[in-house]
Amino acid sequence: MTQEEKDLGVVSEALNRRYSRREILLKSAVVVGAGTTLGSLLVACGGDGGTTSTPSASSSAGFTTETPKQGGTLVYARRAATETLDPLQNRNGNGDIFAAEIVYTALVRPDPMGSTALVPGLADRWELSADRLDYTFHIRDNARFSNGDAVTSDDVKFSLDRFGDPKLNAIYGVLAVGYKGTDVVDKSTVIVHLSQPVSAFLYNISILPAFILPKKLVEEQGKKFFEKPVGTGPFMVSEWLTGSHMTFVPNPYYWEDGKPYLDEVRFDFATDDNARMLALRSGTAQAADGVPFSEISGLKSNTAVYLQFTDVPYFQGLWLNHKRPELADLNVRQALQYALDKEAINKAVYAGTGTIPNSVLPKLRYDGSPEQVAPYPYDVTKAKELMAASGFPNGFSTTLQYPSEFAYYSRLALILQAAWKEIGVSAKLIQQDQGTTSQRFYQFDYDLTFPYAQFTSDVVVPDEYISFICDPNSGTDGFFTAWHDDAIWKQVQEFESADEASRESLWPQIQQAFMDATPVINVMNLPFVQAYQANVKNPYINALGANRLEDTWLA
Amino acid sequence: MAWYLLRRVIAAVPVVIGLSIAAFLIIHLVPGDPVQQMLGARATPETVATVTHELGLDRPLPEQYLEFVSGVVVGDLGDSITLNQPVTTLLRQRAIATFWLLLYGVCVALVVGVPLAVWSAVRRDRWADQVIRLFSTTAFGMPTFWLGLVLALVFGLELGWLPVGGYTDAFPDLLVSLTLPAITLGLSLTAIIIRTLRSSLLESLSSDYVEAARARGLTERRVVLRYGLRNSLGAMITIIAVNIGYLIGGAVVIETVFRIPGLGSLLVEASLRRDYTLVTALTLVAGVAVVVISLVTDLVYAYLDPRVRLS
Repeated sequence: MTQEEKDLGVVSEALNRRYSRREILLKSAVVVGAGTTLGSLLVACGGDGGTTSTPSASSSAGFTTETPKQGGTLVYARRAATETLDPLQNRNGNGDIFAAEIVYTALVRPDPMGSTALVPGLADRWELSADRLDYTFHIRDNARFSNGDAVTSDDVKFSLDRFGDPKLNAIYGVLAVGYKGTDVVDKSTVIVHLSQPVSAFLYNISILPAFILPKKLVEEQGKKFFEKPVGTGPFMVSEWLTGSHMTFVPNPYYWEDGKPYLDEVRFDFATDDNARMLALRSGTAQAADGVPFSEISGLKSNTAVYLQFTDVPYFQGLWLNHKRPELADLNVRQALQYALDKEAINKAVYAGTGTIPNSVLPKLRYDGSPEQVAPYPYDVTKAKELMAASGFPNGFSTTLQYPSEFAYYSRLALILQAAWKEIGVSAKLIQQDQGTTSQRFYQFDYDLTFPYAQFTSDVVVPDEYISFICDPNSGTDGFFTAWHDDAIWKQVQEFESADEASRESLWPQIQQAFMDATPVINVMNLPFVQAYQANVKNPYINALGANRLEDTWLA
Repeated sequence: MAWYLLRRVIAAVPVVIGLSIAAFLIIHLVPGDPVQQMLGARATPETVATVTHELGLDRPLPEQYLEFVSGVVVGDLGDSITLNQPVTTLLRQRAIATFWLLLYGVCVALVVGVPLAVWSAVRRDRWADQVIRLFSTTAFGMPTFWLGLVLALVFGLELGWLPVGGYTDAFPDLLVSLTLPAITLGLSLTAIIIRTLRSSLLESLSSDYVEAARARGLTERRVVLRYGLRNSLGAMITIIAVNIGYLIGGAVVIETVFRIPGLGSLLVEASLRRDYTLVTALTLVAGVAVVVISLVTDLVYAYLDPRVRLS
């Protein structure tokens, strides 16, 4: 048995046992409001090899070992609206993902308790062939759609074939790398064939584009199906007013016994930060996501609510255009890194909630520790030396673009501007709306830019991001940086097809190579910040930031 | 009357056409590609090109505009690019909330503004007048998003009298849920009503026919309400009609602050996502609404003032 199989075996085992209440409690990061002290968030390793956050001793308000109470309506004020429930047509990022997560399930799924491991979904077990080209999945006996129909191998094949069809899966096509096809063995067994070993394959099929759909209904109803879809998640849609709200009721055929506990869930969409926070503070909503950094200190002193910080692959990615000779110069790029006092930025911009990155990418599985891969220290002298050694010893003028939708970007941009001025780099700040920022990014019409207000990875393993940035055939010209490095690309290719044990040792080396080359700058790793009324219990969030709400209940 | 109406409708046609062209061009001129935004960075240029072609967005702008207009003529406003739904469906879902908000806002403005304007005019240059004028200036100067937040904090969060946001579409909860947004919207119009009506009333109250009424021994109350106010109503109605566009603009912000699923918040989302079809259609609908309201205003004006002839 390879290490990967062992690892997945652990996962399989985890699926088949229920987490004890204590384990559940210890796998969540919560910060309680007034009256309790905000403990430092401790990063620990779970027994499954995934990483997760643990709460401070006094921070158990939201997480409990009590027997869950059935019933109640949870109103969740969400920043991003759901625009489609077609898993292949993501139109509004997390707005679509978070709703789809509670309506559908994939064969495997990210650990709902928040580690970076995978646990069984609709498949309760699976095997990988010796040549690592064939996965055999066994669908669990009690897997049913919300209309009562059993989940069959035909449904799985249909869904995975959609996932693997580049015409249908235009958005997440990179995740379908290596997918060759699916054979139905019997009504509850399928074999998925790969054209090449793809180490991240299980991760790739654990999210949105590989959710399992009822073949018959989708074929019969076409696009109409996704207006009120039939899925296998803990909830199903009962009402949906685009841009306003979505209401969900429990799926009576959900495969996890006794779950979910809530009678109703309502997503109230509110892009305005103040509107969401007001809804939470007033009790109109029991949960709110996208808590602005400026609100954190106020909410900490509010006894009626508590905060939850979740480690997700979310970062403040600053993109550099390597078509500009200044930014194609390695010395300049490293100087820009050394000139940043990230500790100060963390306090001034993110209310101290961020962590100093030791990678140019977001926090991902296999990341080396700061001892293995050191973050760029704040060292202006070193930055000046690098500038002097660069092709631009007298400095240069450049531009920094950032989206206007989030207030904290202005403060961040000013800090960066001041920091770089110290080393002779004069950055003109350009604030514009998200649409303009990202469009200019796609057209290489930028020097330095924050192309997305919220920059996250779809999977917790590095494969997706490094493909975007390194793969010369990705079609995005180094993820719109125009950066290429053949040596790193070679390392990446080895990593992408290596077994699990090798990946763990290979990745920190690649992480270091990326840090040295710094094609982009990760200014800060950020958590997802949620806030809840005190009576909301066990709002577990997985490592991708999604909460299926199957364990959540109201006291 | 019929001939007058027909002429006004015909005269409105070029206005609406001009408006539709302006709306169509402006959103197309703003940087940002709806397809690229929809597909994100993951999509290859080939995929973006394919979807752009499928949506017909790679055709010349005049051709796209003509297709839009030909749809409008038969009541088809096209499909939203990002929401993948017919615009008419979205309008049906969202227009009602905006309608109630505007109506409620205008009612608030009238209920608050008219008595204050009358009082201010009657008590000209006395302390009550000064306070009311200060109030109207302050109300006019306050940004709606700020005022909305303050009202929500005070009456929603601190006092708990009214909801801080959200929308219920059934009476009487509808009135409760829209009270703070309507006050927010109405206060800005209140300021305009107070200033306009006060000024008009002062003019009326110093006119010869009012002096004549006083000379006949009518009570001051009757003079003000029957002779002064009635003659000033025309100006006020005109002001309200002229400011309907301003109110619709205010609703855009207020709907976002108070989480009201109306056309305003839909327009904000559509603009941010560069949903060409939806933005053009919503702008056109708002423009047509202003034109229609303007026409209705003229009719009401003629009804109230027999001296006005609809010819």
